[in-house]
Amino acid sequence: MNTKLRVSEISKIYPGCVANDGISLEFGSGKIYALLGENGAGKSTLVKILSGVVRPDKGEVFLNDKSIKLNSPLDAKKNNIGMVFQHFNLFETLSVFENLSIDSDKKNEDLRLSVNNILKKYNFKIDLDIPVLNLSAGQKQKVEIIRCLIRNPKVLIMDEPTSVLTEQETEDLFVSLKQFSDEGILIIYITHKLKEVLSLCDEVAVMRKGKIVSVSKTKEEKIETLANKMVGENLSSIKKKINNFKYSEEILKISNLNFRSDDPYETNLINLNFSLKKGECLGIAGISGNGQSELFQILSGEIITDYTSIKFRDKEISKLNPRERREYLMAFSPEDRISQAAVPELKIYENVALNNFKSSNFFEKGLVNEKKIKEHSKKILSNFSVNTDNVEMKSQFLSGGNLQKLIIGRELITSPELLVCFNPTWGLDVGAINYIHETLININEKGKSSILISTDNDELLKLSDRICVIYKGKLSKIMYVNEVTPEKLGILMGGGSID
Amino acid sequence: MIKIEKRNDVSPSIYFLTPILAIFLTLFGGGIIFYVLGFNPLEALKFFFITPISDLYGFSELLVKATPLCLIAIGLSFCFKSNNWNIGAEGQLIFGGIVGGGVALLFYGHDGFYVLPIIILSGAIGGMIFAMIPAVLKTYLNTNEILVSLMLVYVAKLLLDYLVVGPWSNPEGFNFPETRQFSESARIPVLFDGLRIHAGIFITLITVFLSWLILYKTYLGFQIKVSGLSLKTAKYAGYKGKTMIIIVFMISGACAGLAGVGEITGPIGQLHRNISPDYGFTAIIVAFLGRLNPVGIIFASLIVALTYLGAETAQIFLQVPKYTGQVFQGMILFFLLGSDYLLFFKIKFLGLKKNEL
Repeated sequence: MNTKLRVSEISKIYPGCVANDGISLEFGSGKIYALLGENGAGKSTLVKILSGVVRPDKGEVFLNDKSIKLNSPLDAKKNNIGMVFQHFNLFETLSVFENLSIDSDKKNEDLRLSVNNILKKYNFKIDLDIPVLNLSAGQKQKVEIIRCLIRNPKVLIMDEPTSVLTEQETEDLFVSLKQFSDEGILIIYITHKLKEVLSLCDEVAVMRKGKIVSVSKTKEEKIETLANKMVGENLSSIKKKINNFKYSEEILKISNLNFRSDDPYETNLINLNFSLKKGECLGIAGISGNGQSELFQILSGEIITDYTSIKFRDKEISKLNPRERREYLMAFSPEDRISQAAVPELKIYENVALNNFKSSNFFEKGLVNEKKIKEHSKKILSNFSVNTDNVEMKSQFLSGGNLQKLIIGRELITSPELLVCFNPTWGLDVGAINYIHETLININEKGKSSILISTDNDELLKLSDRICVIYKGKLSKIMYVNEVTPEKLGILMGGGSID
Repeated sequence: MIKIEKRNDVSPSIYFLTPILAIFLTLFGGGIIFYVLGFNPLEALKFFFITPISDLYGFSELLVKATPLCLIAIGLSFCFKSNNWNIGAEGQLIFGGIVGGGVALLFYGHDGFYVLPIIILSGAIGGMIFAMIPAVLKTYLNTNEILVSLMLVYVAKLLLDYLVVGPWSNPEGFNFPETRQFSESARIPVLFDGLRIHAGIFITLITVFLSWLILYKTYLGFQIKVSGLSLKTAKYAGYKGKTMIIIVFMISGACAGLAGVGEITGPIGQLHRNISPDYGFTAIIVAFLGRLNPVGIIFASLIVALTYLGAETAQIFLQVPKYTGQVFQGMILFFLLGSDYLLFFKIKFLGLKKNEL
């Protein structure tokens, strides 16, 4: 059966921001549609309108030429619109089957039958009776998909589904999505990853600043053309020079680093060994939750594990706290911009003062030297092109990209010998990502080293000289970037081994 | 359907004006209560809030009550600003009083300018040590400082009870539960003849100034501010979290101890069972009403002190129990928290649109 979904003149205005500005689109079954755009382009708002979570200020949604009202997620379900959100809505401690039965009105026996049929039909391998917390991210996503399939959806909307998946799981997902599409389910695929659009989708609509800027067949598009449409300007993409650092001085040495946590939600680190050369960027890949956060905190000194495992320029620094490590010209940019790297309620210059290195003289004889901090902050704002020059402004008014520029700037303005950064471009738009990437390549060219812990493989392949993968607290062997492929990374990230 | 959303931007001026709104709402609420009790609300409120300070003596009494409240609240602001919930200022006050009182009894009959400073200092140290108990337990054994500090209040109260009934009771006191009157050298001098206002007010004012300096102009103050907003950030910046917890509790305890020793060497002049009408608890309200800001706390302490006086006047003129004062204090906190909630969140009423389906 054919399904036609049409949105007409949809507008949604939030205070200070037009999220959707007169959006009209048409979708027909049998095809996979990509909705592409940067963060903040309005994709999520449109999707939320289609799934009944948000009500539009203006405009209508038509399903098979009939106007439908989507006032709640329940309405969306009634109209057979299924939605898999980026963040899973599952009860971790309940079993898979219990999770599925919660919002189903079928009898348990019937439900089990139909779920088993779905499992068989699409070759999903999931044990229905184990708690959800034992599932991998890919399996959890399948549970969410099954939840939609039970209701025989006409439309299936996937919101950034691959952000938590490994390469292999992504491929599996694409196979399933194509199968659904062949069976006549209309699929709308939201993403900001260009490669996925090209490999999976038939048509692509690009959104920018709340408007649709182009609708086209993916066959006619290339990565560059889509990227430019998405950002609205021509992006220069810089490339890193290949260097093997054979004769460079060793700057950081980690030997036999172990970490045992009392907290069941933290990951233990097991016998890590690596070293870093001057001017080198070491990338650490992995699916989030495999020990990256613990490793970052140990490198920054927020967690002290032992007194012998970290040597920086031949000095033992294992027992120093973050402030003391900064004296040795180390710098740190944590993953969490809003609640760790900076405090949104503080003014810009106060956030700058968080990096209180010795020569800064921010605090003389225990007193705050406001003038000095403000001068220093102004320098960061202009050197790192943050789009304000008002150091008295509260940081919460900075966009994610500008806040990250401020943080990276704060860390880099001291010309540190080593920068450790964790997902530095997470959640940023393409323009800001480009800027951060350029900055990170720049510091390597100036002979400064960096460790890049990231869950974004493209970023790792672009910026690193050598790459390794962290899986369940263990590091894989370290490879030069030219011998690494996304496939190899995917296998290692999923716990497999290569060669 | 009702939906509650967080407001992103709260302007600072409204943030400091809501306490005043809360006070007006309290007056309104108080008026209603008096009306229900059968009084003319305006007249009753006049007895409560205006009569007590209509003469010089009343005004001096206001300052006598505000002095300890302000001092304790200033100390508490250090704790609260850094996310440490010290609820036991009453216990620290009493323990400071006990230590200061003990030293005063030790110096019984001594003359000399050094006596009073030693007593005051020992009172502050007493409060400080008592406040370090919850702090040390929190940092090293992960206990909850709210419970520990609160329970220690009762420990201090019972200890005081035991001392004034037993070993320290006045040998010529006919078994009244009180110590001797301290000698003149151990008393804080009054400022004016015939009024009870004493030099302790200067200790309070100096403490307010020092607190402002520490909180807004020093590295320590900056660290306290950052830890209060985000412990994760404080850790990332490399601040010594444990040391800071102990420091803020020490400051807070010292202030409460000072307030305690100020009471017993000031207006009271001896130790007995009731050296504090719950100043330590009421100061929590003062700290929040003053928005944890030193200047705000000065004004808040005056207003809350007025509820103590008002309750006494109302007891005399309206024959209502003096606990009415606590009703007013409770209302202030209630309206303050209520308006804060509305300040930080907005409530949206979404009509039921079922018929649209």
